[in-house]
Amino acid sequence: MKKLLPLLALGLFAGCTSLVSTADRLERGLTPPDAVNYVTTKADGTFETQINDQRIAGKLALLGARKSKTPAGFAQVQFELRNDSLLGRTINVSFEWLSADGRVTETQPNWVVTPLEPGAIALVNATALKAESAECRLRLLSR
Amino acid sequence: MNKLLTLAATAFLLVGCGTPASYKDSNGRDVVVSLEKIDIQDFATAGSTMLQSMVNAPAFQKAGAAPVLQVGNVLNDTGSNFDTSLLLMKITAPLVNAGRVRLLESDPAAVAARKATPGAAVPVAEFVLKGKILEVRSNAGSTRQASYEFQLTLIDVRSSLAVWQDTKIVTKQGSKNSVGF
Repeated sequence: MKKLLPLLALGLFAGCTSLVSTADRLERGLTPPDAVNYVTTKADGTFETQINDQRIAGKLALLGARKSKTPAGFAQVQFELRNDSLLGRTINVSFEWLSADGRVTETQPNWVVTPLEPGAIALVNATALKAESAECRLRLLSR
Repeated sequence: MNKLLTLAATAFLLVGCGTPASYKDSNGRDVVVSLEKIDIQDFATAGSTMLQSMVNAPAFQKAGAAPVLQVGNVLNDTGSNFDTSLLLMKITAPLVNAGRVRLLESDPAAVAARKATPGAAVPVAEFVLKGKILEVRSNAGSTRQASYEFQLTLIDVRSSLAVWQDTKIVTKQGSKNSVGF
Protein backbone atom coordinates (compact mmCIF):
# COMPACT_ATOMS: atom_id res chain seq x y z
CA MET A 1 0.00 0.00 0.00
CA LYS A 2 2.88 2.30 0.84
CA LYS A 3 4.14 1.85 -2.70
CA LEU A 4 0.76 2.89 -4.06
CA LEU A 5 0.63 6.23 -2.29
CA PRO A 6 3.31 8.02 -4.34
CA LEU A 7 1.65 6.71 -7.49
CA LEU A 8 -1.73 8.02 -6.36
CA ALA A 9 -0.21 11.39 -5.51
CA LEU A 10 1.47 11.50 -8.90
CA GLY A 11 -1.84 10.67 -10.55
CA LEU A 12 -3.50 13.48 -8.66
CA PHE A 13 -1.04 16.10 -9.86
CA ALA A 14 -0.42 14.79 -13.35
CA GLY A 15 -3.84 13.65 -14.40
CA CYS A 16 -6.18 15.92 -12.55
CA THR A 17 -5.41 19.41 -13.80
CA SER A 18 -8.77 20.79 -12.66
CA LEU A 19 -7.72 20.14 -9.07
CA VAL A 20 -4.70 22.39 -9.50
CA SER A 21 -6.71 25.16 -11.14
CA THR A 22 -9.39 24.87 -8.45
CA ALA A 23 -6.72 25.25 -5.79
CA ASP A 24 -5.36 28.25 -7.66
CA ARG A 25 -8.79 29.85 -7.77
CA LEU A 26 -9.35 29.06 -4.10
CA GLU A 27 -6.09 30.67 -3.13
CA ARG A 28 -6.83 33.69 -5.29
CA GLY A 29 -10.29 34.02 -3.79
CA LEU A 30 -9.01 33.73 -0.24
CA THR A 31 -6.23 36.26 -0.66
CA PRO A 32 -7.53 39.43 0.97
CA PRO A 33 -5.92 42.00 -1.38
CA ASP A 34 -7.47 40.41 -4.48
CA ALA A 35 -10.05 43.13 -4.89
CA VAL A 36 -11.43 45.73 -7.26
CA ASN A 37 -10.11 49.28 -6.96
CA TYR A 38 -11.89 52.45 -8.00
CA VAL A 39 -11.11 55.94 -9.25
CA THR A 40 -14.10 58.26 -9.42
CA THR A 41 -14.12 61.73 -10.90
CA LYS A 42 -15.80 64.50 -8.91
CA ALA A 43 -17.80 67.51 -9.95
CA ASP A 44 -15.07 69.91 -8.76
CA GLY A 45 -12.59 68.46 -11.28
CA THR A 46 -10.68 66.33 -8.78
CA PHE A 47 -10.90 62.57 -8.38
CA GLU A 48 -11.25 60.12 -5.55
CA THR A 49 -9.37 56.80 -5.31
CA GLN A 50 -10.37 53.70 -3.40
CA ILE A 51 -7.56 51.14 -3.24
CA ASN A 52 -8.72 47.76 -1.96
CA ASP A 53 -5.82 45.71 -3.30
CA GLN A 54 -2.64 46.58 -1.44
CA ARG A 55 -0.52 44.78 -4.05
CA ILE A 56 -0.97 47.69 -6.42
CA ALA A 57 -0.77 50.44 -3.80
CA GLY A 58 2.37 52.43 -4.57
CA LYS A 59 3.01 50.37 -7.70
CA LEU A 60 0.35 51.77 -9.96
CA ALA A 61 0.28 55.56 -10.18
CA LEU A 62 -2.73 57.51 -11.38
CA LEU A 63 -1.17 60.50 -13.11
CA GLY A 64 -4.42 62.19 -14.02
CA ALA A 65 -8.15 61.96 -14.58
CA ARG A 66 -9.00 64.63 -17.14
CA LYS A 67 -12.64 65.43 -17.67
CA SER A 68 -14.02 67.31 -20.65
CA LYS A 69 -17.06 67.50 -22.95
CA THR A 70 -17.46 66.38 -26.54
CA PRO A 71 -18.69 69.01 -29.06
CA ALA A 72 -22.18 67.51 -28.64
CA GLY A 73 -21.98 68.00 -24.87
CA PHE A 74 -21.33 64.43 -23.68
CA ALA A 75 -18.89 63.92 -20.82
CA GLN A 76 -15.58 62.27 -21.53
CA VAL A 77 -12.72 61.30 -19.27
CA GLN A 78 -9.14 60.27 -19.84
CA PHE A 79 -7.39 58.36 -17.06
CA GLU A 80 -3.59 58.15 -17.21
CA LEU A 81 -2.00 55.22 -15.40
CA ARG A 82 1.69 54.37 -14.93
CA ASN A 83 3.27 51.15 -13.75
CA ASP A 84 5.73 52.29 -11.08
CA SER A 85 6.89 48.79 -10.15
CA LEU A 86 9.98 47.04 -11.48
CA LEU A 87 7.93 44.21 -12.92
CA GLY A 88 5.49 44.02 -15.80
CA ARG A 89 1.93 44.11 -14.57
CA THR A 90 -1.43 43.39 -16.10
CA ILE A 91 -4.25 45.66 -15.07
CA ASN A 92 -7.83 44.96 -16.08
CA VAL A 93 -9.98 48.03 -16.49
CA SER A 94 -13.67 48.74 -16.90
CA PHE A 95 -15.81 51.75 -16.06
CA GLU A 96 -19.26 53.03 -15.36
CA TRP A 97 -20.88 56.42 -15.64
CA LEU A 98 -22.78 58.14 -12.87
CA SER A 99 -25.36 60.90 -13.02
CA ALA A 100 -24.95 64.07 -10.96
CA ASP A 101 -27.03 62.49 -8.17
CA GLY A 102 -24.89 59.35 -8.11
CA ARG A 103 -27.05 56.92 -10.07
CA VAL A 104 -25.27 54.52 -12.40
CA THR A 105 -26.39 55.53 -15.88
CA GLU A 106 -24.10 53.48 -18.12
CA THR A 107 -21.73 50.65 -17.61
CA GLN A 108 -19.00 48.89 -19.50
CA PRO A 109 -18.96 45.72 -17.40
CA ASN A 110 -16.36 43.66 -19.24
CA TRP A 111 -12.73 43.85 -18.18
CA VAL A 112 -10.30 45.15 -20.78
CA VAL A 113 -6.93 43.48 -20.23
CA THR A 114 -4.18 46.12 -20.18
CA PRO A 115 -0.58 44.81 -19.91
CA LEU A 116 1.84 47.40 -18.57
CA GLU A 117 5.62 47.12 -18.86
CA PRO A 118 7.64 48.66 -16.01
CA GLY A 119 7.35 52.43 -16.28
CA ALA A 120 4.77 52.21 -19.06
CA ILE A 121 1.89 54.66 -19.24
CA ALA A 122 -1.58 53.57 -20.31
CA LEU A 123 -4.48 55.81 -21.22
CA VAL A 124 -8.06 54.77 -20.59
CA ASN A 125 -10.56 56.88 -22.49
CA ALA A 126 -14.25 56.84 -21.74
CA THR A 127 -16.97 58.82 -23.48
CA ALA A 128 -20.51 58.91 -22.14
CA LEU A 129 -23.38 57.97 -24.44
CA LYS A 130 -26.07 59.64 -22.35
CA ALA A 131 -26.34 63.35 -21.61
CA GLU A 132 -27.18 62.68 -17.93
CA SER A 133 -23.86 60.90 -17.37
CA ALA A 134 -21.65 63.31 -15.45
CA GLU A 135 -18.96 61.43 -13.50
CA CYS A 136 -16.93 58.37 -14.40
CA ARG A 137 -15.93 55.55 -12.07
CA LEU A 138 -12.94 53.58 -13.33
CA ARG A 139 -12.64 50.03 -12.02
CA LEU A 140 -9.18 48.47 -11.78
CA LEU A 141 -8.36 44.84 -11.09
CA SER A 142 -4.82 43.56 -10.84
CA ARG A 143 -4.21 40.16 -12.37
CA MET B 1 -7.44 -5.35 1.66
CA ASN B 2 -5.04 -3.68 -0.72
CA LYS B 3 -7.47 -4.17 -3.59
CA LEU B 4 -10.26 -2.57 -1.62
CA LEU B 5 -8.09 0.44 -0.78
CA THR B 6 -7.03 0.79 -4.41
CA LEU B 7 -10.62 0.65 -5.58
CA ALA B 8 -11.69 3.22 -2.99
CA ALA B 9 -8.81 5.52 -3.96
CA THR B 10 -9.67 5.19 -7.67
CA ALA B 11 -13.33 5.93 -6.99
CA PHE B 12 -12.31 8.99 -4.95
CA LEU B 13 -10.12 10.17 -7.80
CA LEU B 14 -12.88 9.78 -10.37
CA VAL B 15 -15.48 11.51 -8.23
CA GLY B 16 -13.24 14.22 -6.81
CA CYS B 17 -11.47 15.37 -9.99
CA GLY B 18 -14.35 16.72 -12.05
CA THR B 19 -15.50 20.30 -11.72
CA PRO B 20 -19.28 20.48 -11.59
CA ALA B 21 -20.89 22.95 -13.96
CA SER B 22 -21.79 26.27 -12.39
CA TYR B 23 -22.97 29.70 -13.51
CA LYS B 24 -20.36 32.40 -13.94
CA ASP B 25 -20.52 36.12 -14.51
CA SER B 26 -20.00 36.49 -18.28
CA ASN B 27 -18.08 39.68 -17.59
CA GLY B 28 -16.16 38.24 -14.66
CA ARG B 29 -12.62 36.92 -14.48
CA ASP B 30 -13.47 33.23 -14.15
CA VAL B 31 -14.60 32.55 -17.70
CA VAL B 32 -12.88 30.05 -19.99
CA VAL B 33 -10.04 31.38 -22.15
CA SER B 34 -9.81 29.33 -25.37
CA LEU B 35 -6.91 29.21 -27.77
CA GLU B 36 -8.80 27.76 -30.72
CA LYS B 37 -11.70 30.18 -30.92
CA ILE B 38 -12.98 33.62 -29.99
CA ASP B 39 -14.50 33.69 -26.52
CA ILE B 40 -17.48 35.69 -25.34
CA GLN B 41 -15.19 38.07 -23.44
CA ASP B 42 -13.16 38.73 -26.61
CA PHE B 43 -16.27 39.97 -28.40
CA ALA B 44 -17.09 42.12 -25.37
CA THR B 45 -13.58 43.60 -25.23
CA ALA B 46 -13.46 44.33 -28.95
CA GLY B 47 -16.99 45.69 -29.02
CA SER B 48 -16.65 48.02 -26.05
CA THR B 49 -13.25 49.31 -27.18
CA MET B 50 -14.45 50.00 -30.72
CA LEU B 51 -17.67 51.58 -29.49
CA GLN B 52 -15.64 54.10 -27.51
CA SER B 53 -13.46 54.74 -30.53
CA MET B 54 -16.43 55.24 -32.83
CA VAL B 55 -18.30 57.72 -30.62
CA ASN B 56 -15.12 59.80 -30.49
CA ALA B 57 -14.83 59.96 -34.28
CA PRO B 58 -15.28 63.56 -35.47
CA ALA B 59 -17.73 62.51 -38.18
CA PHE B 60 -19.91 60.71 -35.68
CA GLN B 61 -19.79 63.63 -33.24
CA LYS B 62 -20.73 66.09 -36.01
CA ALA B 63 -23.70 63.98 -37.09
CA GLY B 64 -27.15 64.98 -35.95
CA ALA B 65 -28.73 64.08 -32.64
CA ALA B 66 -29.55 60.51 -33.67
CA PRO B 67 -28.26 59.62 -37.14
CA VAL B 68 -29.71 56.62 -38.94
CA LEU B 69 -27.29 53.71 -38.89
CA GLN B 70 -27.47 50.59 -40.98
CA VAL B 71 -25.45 47.50 -40.24
CA GLY B 72 -23.64 46.12 -43.28
CA ASN B 73 -21.72 42.91 -43.72
CA VAL B 74 -19.23 41.76 -41.14
CA LEU B 75 -17.17 39.02 -42.72
CA ASN B 76 -16.03 36.16 -40.52
CA ASP B 77 -12.64 35.23 -41.98
CA THR B 78 -11.62 32.98 -39.09
CA GLY B 79 -11.58 29.21 -38.86
CA SER B 80 -14.46 29.04 -36.41
CA ASN B 81 -18.14 29.50 -36.97
CA PHE B 82 -19.99 32.20 -35.00
CA ASP B 83 -22.62 34.84 -35.49
CA THR B 84 -21.07 38.27 -36.06
CA SER B 85 -23.92 39.88 -34.14
CA LEU B 86 -21.95 38.83 -31.07
CA LEU B 87 -19.68 41.75 -31.94
CA LEU B 88 -22.16 44.14 -33.54
CA MET B 89 -24.66 44.03 -30.70
CA LYS B 90 -21.95 45.23 -28.31
CA ILE B 91 -21.74 48.37 -30.41
CA THR B 92 -25.28 48.98 -31.62
CA ALA B 93 -27.21 48.10 -28.44
CA PRO B 94 -25.64 50.80 -26.20
CA LEU B 95 -26.00 53.37 -29.00
CA VAL B 96 -29.66 52.55 -29.67
CA ASN B 97 -30.55 52.35 -25.98
CA ALA B 98 -28.92 55.72 -25.30
CA GLY B 99 -30.79 57.27 -28.24
CA ARG B 100 -27.54 58.09 -30.02
CA VAL B 101 -28.48 56.34 -33.28
CA ARG B 102 -31.60 55.07 -34.99
CA LEU B 103 -30.93 51.61 -36.30
CA LEU B 104 -32.34 50.86 -39.73
CA GLU B 105 -33.40 47.26 -39.85
CA SER B 106 -32.37 45.54 -43.08
CA ASP B 107 -33.84 42.08 -42.65
CA PRO B 108 -36.41 40.89 -45.24
CA ALA B 109 -39.35 41.61 -42.91
CA ALA B 110 -38.31 45.23 -42.43
CA VAL B 111 -37.72 45.72 -46.18
CA ALA B 112 -41.15 44.21 -46.97
CA ALA B 113 -42.79 46.47 -44.39
CA ARG B 114 -41.20 49.54 -45.99
CA LYS B 115 -42.37 48.47 -49.46
CA ALA B 116 -45.88 47.86 -48.13
CA THR B 117 -46.17 51.47 -46.93
CA PRO B 118 -45.07 53.51 -49.97
CA GLY B 119 -46.40 56.81 -48.63
CA ALA B 120 -44.68 56.53 -45.28
CA ALA B 121 -41.63 58.61 -44.50
CA VAL B 122 -38.98 55.92 -44.47
CA PRO B 123 -35.71 56.94 -42.92
CA VAL B 124 -32.63 56.65 -45.08
CA ALA B 125 -29.36 55.37 -43.69
CA GLU B 126 -26.78 58.09 -43.03
CA PHE B 127 -24.07 55.70 -41.91
CA VAL B 128 -23.29 52.07 -42.66
CA LEU B 129 -21.16 49.99 -40.33
CA LYS B 130 -19.26 47.09 -41.87
CA GLY B 131 -16.24 45.03 -40.99
CA LYS B 132 -14.19 41.90 -40.97
CA ILE B 133 -12.81 39.51 -38.35
CA LEU B 134 -9.47 37.86 -39.12
CA GLU B 135 -7.39 35.21 -37.45
CA VAL B 136 -3.61 34.75 -37.31
CA ARG B 137 -2.10 31.68 -35.65
CA SER B 138 1.46 30.80 -34.73
CA ASN B 139 3.25 28.50 -32.34
CA ALA B 140 6.65 27.93 -30.76
CA GLY B 141 7.10 24.42 -29.40
CA SER B 142 4.05 23.61 -27.35
CA THR B 143 3.10 27.28 -26.95
CA ARG B 144 0.27 28.27 -29.24
CA GLN B 145 -0.77 31.82 -30.05
CA ALA B 146 -3.99 32.99 -31.62
CA SER B 147 -4.61 36.59 -32.63
CA TYR B 148 -8.01 37.79 -33.71
CA GLU B 149 -8.25 41.12 -35.49
CA PHE B 150 -11.58 42.92 -35.45
CA GLN B 151 -11.84 45.54 -38.20
CA LEU B 152 -14.72 47.98 -38.47
CA THR B 153 -15.43 50.81 -40.89
CA LEU B 154 -18.11 53.50 -40.67
CA ILE B 155 -19.17 54.81 -44.07
CA ASP B 156 -20.93 58.10 -44.67
CA VAL B 157 -23.63 57.14 -47.19
CA ARG B 158 -23.87 60.61 -48.75
CA SER B 159 -20.23 60.66 -49.76
CA SER B 160 -19.47 56.90 -49.74
CA LEU B 161 -16.37 57.81 -47.79
CA ALA B 162 -15.07 55.91 -44.80
CA VAL B 163 -15.27 58.38 -41.91
CA TRP B 164 -14.02 56.08 -39.18
CA GLN B 165 -11.97 52.92 -39.09
CA ASP B 166 -10.51 50.99 -36.23
CA THR B 167 -8.97 47.64 -35.46
CA LYS B 168 -8.75 45.78 -32.20
CA ILE B 169 -6.45 42.79 -31.88
CA VAL B 170 -7.02 40.22 -29.17
CA THR B 171 -4.06 37.88 -28.68
CA LYS B 172 -4.14 34.75 -26.56
CA GLN B 173 -1.13 32.54 -25.82
CA GLY B 174 -0.62 29.27 -23.99
CA SER B 175 -0.40 25.53 -24.38
CA LYS B 176 -4.00 24.75 -23.43
CA ASN B 177 -7.27 26.43 -22.59
CA SER B 178 -7.64 27.81 -19.09
CA VAL B 179 -10.16 29.25 -16.70
CA GLY B 180 -9.85 32.89 -15.74
CA PHE B 181 -7.41 35.61 -16.70
